[in-house]
Amino acid sequence: MRLVRAELLKLVTTRLLLWLGLMILALEVLVISLHVSQDSLSSLAEPRTQRDVISIAGSAALISLIVGVVSAAGEYGHGTISHTFLVAPVRERVVVAKLVAGGMAGAALAVFAGVVAWVLAALLLSARSVPVQLGSAGVMRPLLGTVAAAAITGALGVGFGCLLRRQTAAIIVIFVWLIVAEPLLSIAHVDRYGPGHAVASVVEAGVQGPDLLAFWPGLLLALAYAAGFAIAGAIMVKRTDVA
Amino acid sequence: MADAPPVEVRALTKRYGSTVAVDGLGFAIAAGRITGFLGPNGAGKTTTLRTLLGLVRPTAGEALVEGQPYARLRDPLRTVGAVLEAESFHPARSGRNHLRVLATAAGVPTARVDEVLEQVELSRSARRRVGGYSLGMRQRLSVAGALLGRPRLLVLDEPANGLDPEGIRWLREFLRSFAAGGGTVLISSHVLAEVAQLADEVVIIHRGALVTQEPLAALTARAGGATVVRSPDAGRLAEELRRAEIEASAADGQLLVAAPAERVGEIAAAAGIVLHELRAQGASLEEVFLELTAGEPR
Repeated sequence: MRLVRAELLKLVTTRLLLWLGLMILALEVLVISLHVSQDSLSSLAEPRTQRDVISIAGSAALISLIVGVVSAAGEYGHGTISHTFLVAPVRERVVVAKLVAGGMAGAALAVFAGVVAWVLAALLLSARSVPVQLGSAGVMRPLLGTVAAAAITGALGVGFGCLLRRQTAAIIVIFVWLIVAEPLLSIAHVDRYGPGHAVASVVEAGVQGPDLLAFWPGLLLALAYAAGFAIAGAIMVKRTDVA
Repeated sequence: MADAPPVEVRALTKRYGSTVAVDGLGFAIAAGRITGFLGPNGAGKTTTLRTLLGLVRPTAGEALVEGQPYARLRDPLRTVGAVLEAESFHPARSGRNHLRVLATAAGVPTARVDEVLEQVELSRSARRRVGGYSLGMRQRLSVAGALLGRPRLLVLDEPANGLDPEGIRWLREFLRSFAAGGGTVLISSHVLAEVAQLADEVVIIHRGALVTQEPLAALTARAGGATVVRSPDAGRLAEELRRAEIEASAADGQLLVAAPAERVGEIAAAAGIVLHELRAQGASLEEVFLELTAGEPR
């Protein structure tokens, strides 16, 4: 537990979470205010549209992936990993602590994103005199799904960061995968089994789009991806000299 | 294993591909002393120390701290304090927070953080970001981190690199007082002079293998080497020296004597021999060091 607390302390003693939090805030202000101001009043009154309005909160699942990557690969980049292993020479334990801390930080970012999106949407909808229906299950579930998804991606980022141990390279690979590679899987109709789609199906939490797995299979698959990267990352970290 | 030496390296070999960084190195250091770990750049010092600290996996052999591999130490920070070469910190984290992270992971109370900051005279800058620290301040922060767990052993890799004379003097005084308090110090350097004023013993390595391990005094004695003497009575002086079992050879009207100048002077005085010149032909410590570490075929 000491190691988890140390990892959390590492995350809050740099400006990383602050910047990512501000990024989420800026994104949500932009997207939600555009959506609410552009859409018709009749459309906005529908719960389904209101759900779409706050769906930008789901971006927290992607942002928390970055938190995980930085928590692991960033230590190699800055060279602080040697301090970490001097205190805790059994490296698997460090990786486990990072997985837990990454999951917690991811979930916290998602809660922040959800609360901000909800409050912002409620304020802007009221301002246009649209009846607010943000309390319905269909609206709340994606927010809760995002918390679960961000916890998973926080850990997944740690595993992937351990595997590559290069922060910038890891983040580039992730974006190339999500933007180029995973969509290509649709050619073989297997894109729904990709890690990005699996996480998205957790975010949707029961209001799935047509090309996503249902919530539970999606959750299990996302967890399997996180576990796979965690194991591969731990093996890599254990075998690599810190020179 | 209370009686195991603080540091013991046994038949340690580390290969990176076809490059051999450490080649069957073995030595042990004694408790309560300062041992200088010397060798030219690339001799394998850093690799040896990083293996000792569990950061690098040996190809063969082992490096033990108090008889155990580092990863098996129950409480590493309370056993060994390490100051690595070119320490790196997160530039955006304050010095104090850096230490808080280490203390949290090691289960050391936060009050200790402020204590060590005081000890290395860094309290005033403790809440500033490390990115704005000078090299000397970073080095002090490293030392503070090494002291967190009140270890019995300090391992320092080239701590003087890049330090200004003031910083070097601070470090030297600090290590002296640490050793005076019963602590053991292993300090590496590629410059003998840096540890000559500090170490009780030296371990010299070259190309990954042990060259010599001896008390600093023995190394100094090697340097103390020969004496050149001129005397109108050179023949008789050589005779007297031979009687004292000291070798002397004549060349260019001088005698080259394999003994310190003091001894030669005493013998000459006792025999009433006039000297015209008495000159210590001491190689400097640095020359001895270079000779020890350069005399191998390429």
